[in-house]
Amino acid sequence: MSVAPQGSSFYFGFEILEFGLKPAASGPGANRWGFPDLGIGVGLRTVHYAHILEKWPLVDFFEILSENYMETGGRPLRVLDQVVERYPIVMHGVSMSIGSSDPLDREYLQKLKALAARTRALWVSDHLCWTGVSGRNTHDLLPMPLTEEALAHVVSRVKTVSEILERPLMLENASTYAEFAASSMSEWEFFGRLMEEADCGMLLDVNNVYVSAYNHGFDPKGYLDAIPPERVSQYHLAGHTNKGTHIIDTHNDHVIDAVWDLYRRSVARTGNVSTLLEWDADIPAFDVVHAEALKARAHRAEENTVALAAS
Amino acid sequence: MQTVIEHPGTVEEAVGAPPARVELDPRQIERVVLPSKTLTSVERVGVYQGMYLLRMVEALASDYPAVAHWMGEERFEKLVSRYVQAHPSVHYSLNRLGDHLPEFIRRSKGVRKKEFLGDLARLELAVTEVFDAPQSPAWPAEEVARIPEAAWEMAVMKPIEAFRLAAFGYPVNAYLQSVKEDRHDYPEIRRKPSWVAIYRKDYEVWRLDLTKPAYEFLRALSRGRPFGKAVAEAAGRLQGAAGDRLFRWLRDWVAEGIFQGIDASTSR
Repeated sequence: MSVAPQGSSFYFGFEILEFGLKPAASGPGANRWGFPDLGIGVGLRTVHYAHILEKWPLVDFFEILSENYMETGGRPLRVLDQVVERYPIVMHGVSMSIGSSDPLDREYLQKLKALAARTRALWVSDHLCWTGVSGRNTHDLLPMPLTEEALAHVVSRVKTVSEILERPLMLENASTYAEFAASSMSEWEFFGRLMEEADCGMLLDVNNVYVSAYNHGFDPKGYLDAIPPERVSQYHLAGHTNKGTHIIDTHNDHVIDAVWDLYRRSVARTGNVSTLLEWDADIPAFDVVHAEALKARAHRAEENTVALAAS
Repeated sequence: MQTVIEHPGTVEEAVGAPPARVELDPRQIERVVLPSKTLTSVERVGVYQGMYLLRMVEALASDYPAVAHWMGEERFEKLVSRYVQAHPSVHYSLNRLGDHLPEFIRRSKGVRKKEFLGDLARLELAVTEVFDAPQSPAWPAEEVARIPEAAWEMAVMKPIEAFRLAAFGYPVNAYLQSVKEDRHDYPEIRRKPSWVAIYRKDYEVWRLDLTKPAYEFLRALSRGRPFGKAVAEAAGRLQGAAGDRLFRWLRDWVAEGIFQGIDASTSR
């Protein structure tokens, strides 16, 4: 069985029954491209390879950091090939630098496309950010000036990337620590217009919304409420470090209650959307990470019950 | 902003340094980056600037654990700070960030035990290269017997992609091993030549200590020297039952999967 996107020029041909997945719900909760709700996933990390290969844990899906598998022919790729045979995969990158004034890296995009084909990735995402200019890469997700000029620039580049990848691009809202005086719109407005004009989707990181809201003093609920629900293809959740004066998105701890509250609020709008927990520093045992991720399932269920009762 | 982020000093030094001043007068920074209720504009940019060096140190410590161990945290961080000024990342993957570190150490002034450290860095770079090299099928050991005897003289052996061979002035493989095993019996850092084959077998990286004659024989074979000539040259450097030793080495290397094939065509 294949799922064809409705009203889209893209065709994905997901063999979703291979993994026993359900197609995305129709109606108010359906996303723009008919992406299936994969359930609750975790990031595939090196420190968990041995556990995964030995136990083959019951995980709904894995997300890979694309760049970790684009420059190797060794064990990481071997492990990935084995994981691909058993789990749905989505790809998440950190080096596309969609907001940079440098030309797009075509070699990178071709390798990204090849990896997506190899892993049968259900979708490919990166961040709304720039990582460097003048040929350099700071390997950080640097903030964009949210201007009309920047919007036009990113729209054009997203369209080009989508054509090269032959699939829509999903962009994540990054945690940011600085704002530009030149910005003429909010991040949620920028995202809304970007997604409409470039026909791309959003990987909505609820923790990042919380972090940026804390750092910049805006209302995170207002951000979430402004995102077109049909454009949300995936959620990210993670822990962070509160420094008092600001929060750093460290991915090194449990998700805090305030972020879970925001997640539920957003799920009430989007319906059940594939949700992934990120834990990238001080990584504990796989079962700890997975248990934290599975809390999302309980929150979703609770929100679904509330919605059902309300209807 | 990138100029400030990549600056090795404090963020205040970074915004006041000439490369940043060309772009923006530091007194004007609030006109570009807004302050928050709790942080000044400079402090907000400083969040990114502070994380940059940490990220570079973490990436290079991952690729060069023994170099980092030898230098200690503070000296290694200083080395990385100078290194990324000279060789900032220009690749989408951090895997390539450390490609120039051995050469950088070799050219650096004021680095203690520079030759040892350079050798150690070369070994660790070879390990990461072998770890990520493309996979190539190993030549099955049973194939050796199928090569016609007459074809051996001109036969050329081809190593797998995930193979490196290196000669060092110091026993760096022993040092690396002690670090990996978290032992504290590090070999004394004294000049003593050593030779190591680094290769990947079953997706694990192995480091094989070699004697000088074995290294020279393997180097000749891996560089495409016809088998007959390589054997003759190696035998000339050995005393006693050279044939037996050469055969034993070759058998072991084939069993380890160091070669992916052999061109034994007689038309050469």
